[in-house]
Amino acid sequence: MATGDYEDRRLRMQRESVQSRWMDIYDPVRHLDPILVLTALALTGIGLVAIYSAKLTGVAAEAQAMGFVSRQLAALVIGIIGMVIMAVVDYRWLRVYAPIFYGISIVLLGLTLSPLGASGGGAQRWIELGPLQLQPSELAKLAMLVGIAALLHESKGRPHLGYVLIALGTTLVPTALVFLQPDFGTSIVFIWMTAVLFLIAGVKVRYLVALVISGIAGVVVALQQGLLREYQVSRLTAFLDAGDASAAQTAAFQTRQSMIAVGSGQFAGKGLFEGTQTRLSYVPENHTDFIFTVIAEELGFIGGSVVLGLFLVLVWRGLRIAILAKDLFGQLAAAGVVAVLALQVFVNVGMTLGIMPVTGLPLPFVSYGGTSLIVWFAMIGLLLNIHMRRFERPASAVPIARRTSIGAG
Amino acid sequence: MAAPSSDTSPVLRLTFLAVVVIGIFIALFARLWFLQVLAGDRFVELADSNRLRTVVTEAPRGSILGSQGEELVVNRPALAISADRQLLLDNDGLPRDEEAELVIARLGSLLELDSDEVIERLRSQRRSPLSPVPLEFDVAPEIVFSVREHQELFPGVVAETLPVREYPFGELAAHMMGYLTEIGEAELLDPAFTDYRGGDLIGRGGLEQSYEQVLRGVAGQRRLVVNARGDVLDVQSEREPIQGNDLVTTLDVELQEATERLLVEGIEASRSIQRDDGEFLPSVAGSAVVLDARTGAVLAMASYPSYDPRRFVGGVSSEYWDFVNDRENFQPLVNRAVSGLYPPGSVFKTATGAAWIEAGLIGPRGTRNCDAAFEVGGNTYRNWNRGVNEGPMDLSDALMRSCDTYFYDLAYNNWLAENNASDADEVLVRVAQAFGFGRTLGIDLPAEPAGRIPGRQWREDYHLATRDRTCAQAEQADPGSYERELLTDLCQFGGVWRGGDAINASIGQGDVITTPLQVAASYQALANDGVLMRPHLGARVLAPDGTVVEEFEPESLGDVGMDAQTLAVMREGLERTVMDPRGTGFSAFSGFPLADIPVAGKTGTAEVRPRIPFAWFAGYAPANDPEIVVAVNVEEGGGGSQTAAPIARNIMEVFFGVSSVEEAEFEAGEEILD
Repeated sequence: MATGDYEDRRLRMQRESVQSRWMDIYDPVRHLDPILVLTALALTGIGLVAIYSAKLTGVAAEAQAMGFVSRQLAALVIGIIGMVIMAVVDYRWLRVYAPIFYGISIVLLGLTLSPLGASGGGAQRWIELGPLQLQPSELAKLAMLVGIAALLHESKGRPHLGYVLIALGTTLVPTALVFLQPDFGTSIVFIWMTAVLFLIAGVKVRYLVALVISGIAGVVVALQQGLLREYQVSRLTAFLDAGDASAAQTAAFQTRQSMIAVGSGQFAGKGLFEGTQTRLSYVPENHTDFIFTVIAEELGFIGGSVVLGLFLVLVWRGLRIAILAKDLFGQLAAAGVVAVLALQVFVNVGMTLGIMPVTGLPLPFVSYGGTSLIVWFAMIGLLLNIHMRRFERPASAVPIARRTSIGAG
Repeated sequence: MAAPSSDTSPVLRLTFLAVVVIGIFIALFARLWFLQVLAGDRFVELADSNRLRTVVTEAPRGSILGSQGEELVVNRPALAISADRQLLLDNDGLPRDEEAELVIARLGSLLELDSDEVIERLRSQRRSPLSPVPLEFDVAPEIVFSVREHQELFPGVVAETLPVREYPFGELAAHMMGYLTEIGEAELLDPAFTDYRGGDLIGRGGLEQSYEQVLRGVAGQRRLVVNARGDVLDVQSEREPIQGNDLVTTLDVELQEATERLLVEGIEASRSIQRDDGEFLPSVAGSAVVLDARTGAVLAMASYPSYDPRRFVGGVSSEYWDFVNDRENFQPLVNRAVSGLYPPGSVFKTATGAAWIEAGLIGPRGTRNCDAAFEVGGNTYRNWNRGVNEGPMDLSDALMRSCDTYFYDLAYNNWLAENNASDADEVLVRVAQAFGFGRTLGIDLPAEPAGRIPGRQWREDYHLATRDRTCAQAEQADPGSYERELLTDLCQFGGVWRGGDAINASIGQGDVITTPLQVAASYQALANDGVLMRPHLGARVLAPDGTVVEEFEPESLGDVGMDAQTLAVMREGLERTVMDPRGTGFSAFSGFPLADIPVAGKTGTAEVRPRIPFAWFAGYAPANDPEIVVAVNVEEGGGGSQTAAPIARNIMEVFFGVSSVEEAEFEAGEEILD
């Protein structure tokens, strides 16, 4: 019995050892964040319905609307693949390859401005890839996030001026390229992202203050020197007089029509596919920039609140992941995702509600736009990655050798 | 954070980020709540006004008919050239692009209008932006043809048929019918016109104005659902226009034609009458009223000069508008029969005579000597019949001879009595109002003035109202001049009702102001046993299917307040005026079959210095059982017996079938300047 007992114990230990090694490999999967993923999918689902509604106009309305929905669905599939890749690869590898991603995105941004770039709505933002359109500024968002987080991670929480300047330079190059497209909204996102990363990384307050002051000075100079095109300035200021009925057909027209749509939705909404402003094309770009308008008009305050609530869930999960992250890179990357998400929601939804200027920023997960959707799922993947690996110790510390010796003994 | 520790600092900083982010979301929720829940109702309205466009279909206006159903004013289809404003003009009302500018220029040359005029008409708010704006009515068929033939040169331009006012009898009864114009901007702001929209047509002058609500109908409305580009997607609701009701008038169309023609012919013929000084009578303008003696219904009414209501169809030209309003042309647009203000002269003596009897100064058969002149306080008031003492007269004689001094004497005595009386009763004012003077009668035509019967109270009020101006004028007049003396006197004592004022008023002169309609109405009351009826034109309202919607019954305005004997004496006086060889109207009615159709009436010659006197005649027939009342006024027509009475006689001849309009010749009566 004793021998048998020992044999049993030995076998069990051997089995556990194998299991343990197996578990080590698959351990991170047990720490997925299903709430995060499901929330992102829910937002995308709402977005698909809203896109369908927004495009349900004119002749062959349903076919047209289904066309947009299926393209967005295709992007969703790619996005989920991107999310899985971003989640599976240990994010420490991302740190290593960050400069390469960054370099590629800079090249693509440059190509956008070249004759290869495609323009629309007064801006040159896309690269045509056969039937597909790629929006490099969305990719650059992710590449910058990873790149600057990696850079600041090296500072070990005590970034001196050198890190700050290098990070600043890393930010300003893509910001300038995006600004030239011109895409004022995305350049603001870039600057905001870096500012938040500086904050989380522990950059000295006096550097942050200096940055804010020079940022404001920069905007003033940009306005005074006419770096912004006239339509951009008018778009930025138009929301201020959106209440004026005579402003129809001017830059304030969009904001005003959007406010009418949202307001007339009232508490319960006009009913799905029943929004008059949406159905009759009074709100422009309502499948992309003004998608929230469609939701608020047709589903009312309830629908709008659900969407905002889902974004709050994403923020909550993202901040939780940032706090639980095991290293500074994880904290920075997770906080960066949350910061960019919150800013885009604020700027986009605020625009539809008439409290923010009209900029071309899409609503994450909801707006029609493949690149944006793919990159946002990749960001979710990044968050999952950080979350899954929050307990993982350095490789050297894994006591596999001891177990092996036991097994051998 | 001066010394960040690697353990706590990132969490602290993440918390800071969390606070910022939650603040952002609170802001968005708050704004969403405000827009959708607090301000939602307002935005619902805005969304509806966005998507719904109202296209108004004008209701066909009702017709105006004669007493036998003759169509005096109807609608007819007119060829019109219209253009799509949205296609040609932008939101600022300027040509949308160069192409639109070219189209507008082509339209201009086709319709013989300036491009600016075309744009002006296109901007008119008359129609909804979604229906074409009419640019010109009654265009030649060739113009319609060239638009249709070269439609590629005229995008957005259509030739269509639209209802416009038509006047089958031409200028007949123009003053009573009135015309249509677009509603004015001031009226649109008036709450009384809330259901009108810019560019709507509205009746002006005449029955078109006073029966606007009857004739107008209710415009149809289609609520269209349109998208942001203005494409019509659906019809949300539709209301058919309700045609306006028809108005049947009391007008005897044949008599109306005769009255107008006889008035014009009489006025024109009278211009060949030479006055004592060798000048011809100017007879510049005039009017005639024919009332039903029992009901006060207007059977005919004419005003000279007249105008052509057809010139108002589709918008009156400014030249014609200026022409019909020009004083130099004696304002053809004015209906003198209702709106003309004149001293009545001797036709007023019926009211005065009744007043002196009412005052108890004299009985109906009591007499006063008809002196050549009445002298009081160093002033001499002559009888019209200069230098002849005609002996004692009662009221009947005084009317027949139109004896001024009879009335002067009584007027002066009345003035003395009222001066000494403690109460404020002014008998002439009171009795004249019972006769219909100094007040509106409520005829269903617009622009009816009250006129004026002067008295002590009026003089005092008038003086108070004008004293400052009079005194200021007196200050400015040349010292020592007559004008200054007069104005100074007026300034100081203008409020005093003097004996001379009362004497002048007693023969319808001085400050007495009446309208031809009031004169006619006062004789209608005498013809109708003393009961004054409201003069009216509306007989009934018919629905488009011919059923009677409303019947207008004759309405009494009260009794003139004379006892039977006084009335009988007065009527006797009026009959003798026409039928007694000594009567002032006798000459004008020579040859009239007075035995079959006795006529009663009164001549009048009102002095309007420095102009030539205005001729009056008012009377009724048959005198024993009156059917019609006729009043005629000719401005600067000389004596009433000379010019006005022959016209009235001709009207009566036609009414009673004595002669036809063609046969009735104007024959001037004796020149009696009573």
